[in-house]
Amino acid sequence: MVGMSMQPYGIQSMLKEGYRHLSGLDEAVIKNIEACKELSTITRTSLGPNGMNKMVINHLDKLFVTSDAGTIVNELEIQHPAAKLLVLAAKAQQEEIGDGANLVISFAGELLQNAEELIRMGLHPSEIISGYTKAINKTVEILEQLVESGSQTMDVRNKDEVISRMRAAVASKQFGQEEIICSLVADACIQVCPKNPTNFNVDNVRVAKLLGGGLHNSCIVRGMVMKSDAVGSIKRMEKAKVAVFAGGVDTNATETKGTVLIHSAEQLENYAKTEEAKVEELIKAVAESGAKVIVSGGSIGEMALHFCERYKIMVLKISSKFELRRFCRTAGAVAHLKLSRPSPDDLGYVDSISVEEIGGVTVTIARNEEGGNSISTVVLRGSTDSILDDLERAVDDGVNTYKAMCRDSRIVPGAAATEIELAQRLKEYANAEIGLDKYAISKYAESFEFVPKTLADNSGLNAMEIIAALYTGHGSGNAKLGIDLEEGACKDVSETKVWDLFATKLFALKYASDAACTVLRVDQIIMAKPAGGPRRDAAAAAGAGAEED
Amino acid sequence: MASMMQPQIILLKEGTDTSQGKAQLLSNINACTAVGDVVRTTLGPRGMDKLIHDHKGSVTISHDGATIMKLLDIVHPAAKILVDIAKSQDSEVGDGTTTVVLLAAEFLKEAKPFIEDGVHAQNLIRSYRTACTLAIEKVKALAVSIEGKSVEEKKGLLAKCAATTLSSKLIGGEKEFFATMVVDAVMAIGNDDRLNLIGIKKVPGGNMRDSFLVDGVAFKKTFSYAGFEQQPKKFLSPKILLLNIELELKSEKENAEIRLSDPSQYQSIVDAEWNIIYDKLDKCVESGAKVVLSRLAIGDLATQYFADRDIFCAGRVAEEDLNRVAAAAGGTVQTSVNNIIDEVLGTCEIFEEKQVGGERFNIFSGCPSGRTATIVLRGGADQFIEEAERSLHDAIMIVRRAVKNSTVVPGGGAIDMEISKYLRQHSRTIAGKSQLFINSYAKALEVIPRQLCDNAGFDATDVLNKLRQKHAMQSGEGASYGVDINTGGIADSFANFVWEPAVVKINAINAATEAACLILSVDETVKNPKSESAQGDAAGAMGRGRGGGRGRGMRRR
Repeated sequence: MVGMSMQPYGIQSMLKEGYRHLSGLDEAVIKNIEACKELSTITRTSLGPNGMNKMVINHLDKLFVTSDAGTIVNELEIQHPAAKLLVLAAKAQQEEIGDGANLVISFAGELLQNAEELIRMGLHPSEIISGYTKAINKTVEILEQLVESGSQTMDVRNKDEVISRMRAAVASKQFGQEEIICSLVADACIQVCPKNPTNFNVDNVRVAKLLGGGLHNSCIVRGMVMKSDAVGSIKRMEKAKVAVFAGGVDTNATETKGTVLIHSAEQLENYAKTEEAKVEELIKAVAESGAKVIVSGGSIGEMALHFCERYKIMVLKISSKFELRRFCRTAGAVAHLKLSRPSPDDLGYVDSISVEEIGGVTVTIARNEEGGNSISTVVLRGSTDSILDDLERAVDDGVNTYKAMCRDSRIVPGAAATEIELAQRLKEYANAEIGLDKYAISKYAESFEFVPKTLADNSGLNAMEIIAALYTGHGSGNAKLGIDLEEGACKDVSETKVWDLFATKLFALKYASDAACTVLRVDQIIMAKPAGGPRRDAAAAAGAGAEED
Repeated sequence: MASMMQPQIILLKEGTDTSQGKAQLLSNINACTAVGDVVRTTLGPRGMDKLIHDHKGSVTISHDGATIMKLLDIVHPAAKILVDIAKSQDSEVGDGTTTVVLLAAEFLKEAKPFIEDGVHAQNLIRSYRTACTLAIEKVKALAVSIEGKSVEEKKGLLAKCAATTLSSKLIGGEKEFFATMVVDAVMAIGNDDRLNLIGIKKVPGGNMRDSFLVDGVAFKKTFSYAGFEQQPKKFLSPKILLLNIELELKSEKENAEIRLSDPSQYQSIVDAEWNIIYDKLDKCVESGAKVVLSRLAIGDLATQYFADRDIFCAGRVAEEDLNRVAAAAGGTVQTSVNNIIDEVLGTCEIFEEKQVGGERFNIFSGCPSGRTATIVLRGGADQFIEEAERSLHDAIMIVRRAVKNSTVVPGGGAIDMEISKYLRQHSRTIAGKSQLFINSYAKALEVIPRQLCDNAGFDATDVLNKLRQKHAMQSGEGASYGVDINTGGIADSFANFVWEPAVVKINAINAATEAACLILSVDETVKNPKSESAQGDAAGAMGRGRGGGRGRGMRRR
């Protein structure tokens, strides 16, 4: 109750006016825990396949409708320092695995909530931390034992195997539509998977969102889909060589301001002609090299276009540097800076390139069926922008899961089976422990219960009944008993085929425990008086900018 | 910030608006229902138009759901989703925009009592999705294919589809007239269907019947110089030269400058400029073209020159028109007059200039590739023609989709009643809550015939019950009965040729369900303060904001 009295004394008197200082269990630790709890209540209802969506309108007035925790916390603009720690943990998970962000936040929230009870019981935070640390180490140990045997190796090109590992991740975003999405994503990923699967690049699976139709109209294009029209009147080309010019297709103008001095009538008459001849020469050179398609990164001059038409060359403009780079990868072309005769090696090749109309949008589709590990695009269809955005996130999660499984293909039972098993074994471990850690470890074990509880709650089932049934099943030795949300009963996951990636679970639990311990470790908060304006705005803007790339 | 004690209060940024829970869900549903009520009365042939007076002061009178939704300027985040689905329907199939909004609103309305009773939204969503899949399957099963018919027969069938669309529009009175026109236009562009190959030109004055279709290109006479009237105005199979250059006496390049040391050379320079333009004109003439069109200006000198040689010319032709001519006549647009080969010249059977109302039109008809068509629309007031254009656009889209997918279903609410019946029957086979939800989905579908009746001033309950009876008949012969808008009773829509493409219905049901599910699945709204208002707080913050933006730009480079 130090802060209540307006008279500054103690540490407050040493600080500048406007500084805030919070210390002690009640003020710092408990408040921090409360803030984190509040955050986790927001994300908790989005956990699992039946999770609810959140509508977030960010500061730029853009509407997000999603159940993807990574997106939600990103757009929420969390201010509280302790809650931010959780957000950072979730972001770390998002970057490392690309999925399971919700588990991080919700689990950390649950851990902290249980820690609060322990604190109120009289345990010191440091004891809780040491207990939690022991618990996580034990958890990792147990988790490794729970890995489904035979899942250590997998054929990353086998669609069925890929789908079985991807389904849970995608279903948690788009329940009921996971079959369609999984099959799309698996196809796309397998197509672009390099010889050494660990080198799988997430960037090689693109998503093109086109308004209209429904998800069942979605498809995979081996190649690229660009939302632009061809520049000239030639809209279709088959089995064509492609020349890519990053700098634009135009006559070269001097950067320095200059004036052409003309001295005689003859010069005047020839002036225009020479320019024309020059352009023709350049385009002719390109045409003679065998290129049928020119892709330009910059402007396309009218005169140049005229000659392209004359030589029956299709012209395409891609102004984004990133798009252009991807196009080069698709076609296997080397981009030239200047318009010049390309050497045969630099020419790319596409099986077909054509302008098509999908749902009222004109798109250019470049297909390359043969090319090795080029690029594949998932064309998503949906009736609103927000649905499309959400589908895109589900696809992203799927692709990320694929990347993760290329590195570590081990799986553990999903649908809360692993959590209950962990809880049970940890409790046994806690009972064997002597000393105060015992309490913390058993609370840690209890925290796992929130997963089945939330899954059941979100689906409108009776949580307590489910948990009891799960414990009974696990107690009798069925380590794979999980919730079947469709029927609202407990079922063996090898029947329902709900598997989670080992890596996802491992990192999520680790990050959550680390974040929870960090929050607990804080006993004093000193907040400087905010100077001027909101500082983190600029940082957030820069962050958003980096993401756009 | 005032309270020193409670940092957790500012978990989120100040000014952030959050709402959550059931109340939030219900308020979202209410907002969507309100939007549905706005467009409700425009449905069907007897629907009323809306007059929208926007903030710029321009007035739009429209019947088109998508247009109304776009102009409504909705800010409610949930209701915005309805605008999105209307747009999506518009871009995907072009028509049925009112239907889709109405259906989505009705689905939500039916869901409301359940939510109030404490049903978990996910249960509703799951049932709605199942119902949606079933409904779409049923539409597909009921659809009649028009594939494999002769061209003439097909045209007739397509005209029926177009007529159904048009009957609900302002130009419904002349639906047969326009339906044939639209079908001809779409058939003309053939397989390579890009919407911009069909042009619609509006000429105020006259009446609707004066509208006509050109199997080629027509555009308004461009600005012309003296000498234009001496040019011939009609050609049979002329060669057409399309240019993208100025035929005018002007400086060749902006960055060129002439410095003369000898004044006697001055005349030669002047001559040279004339030579250049004459040289260009000569080349045009030599190419053998009888019609010269340019996207850029054709000056008075050139006009006169062409007139002397019996060549028609038009400058400053709008780019889309020029491209259409290129597509129709088979030529390519030239940026240089050098080396014009025959291949780049287009041709058509008849070129003529025609008086249409107060305007003169250049009309190219009988084009060899026949891949374009232009509809010249006549009518009274500006707003009337605007609306007519939108209606024709819808009809064109419908016909295009029908050509592509070539299955049709009976309209007039018949298909909706049939699906509704089918779902009701299906729901009885389900045990559990889902039965109620699918039943309510089925009930929501009935809104289409109900609204058709309401808008036409009939007794909806009476008509609906008659329809239910017909559709419930075991023999299945009543499956295509819908509202008869003329008599106020019911009639076999299929026999009366009230047809719509199956894809319209499928897309509408799909989009409406997706939107309804999306809105139902939201349990929390977080609205962050706008960054503009944050910037308005202090000049310092603004400077920082801008600095951040600049920094980002640098980083990206």
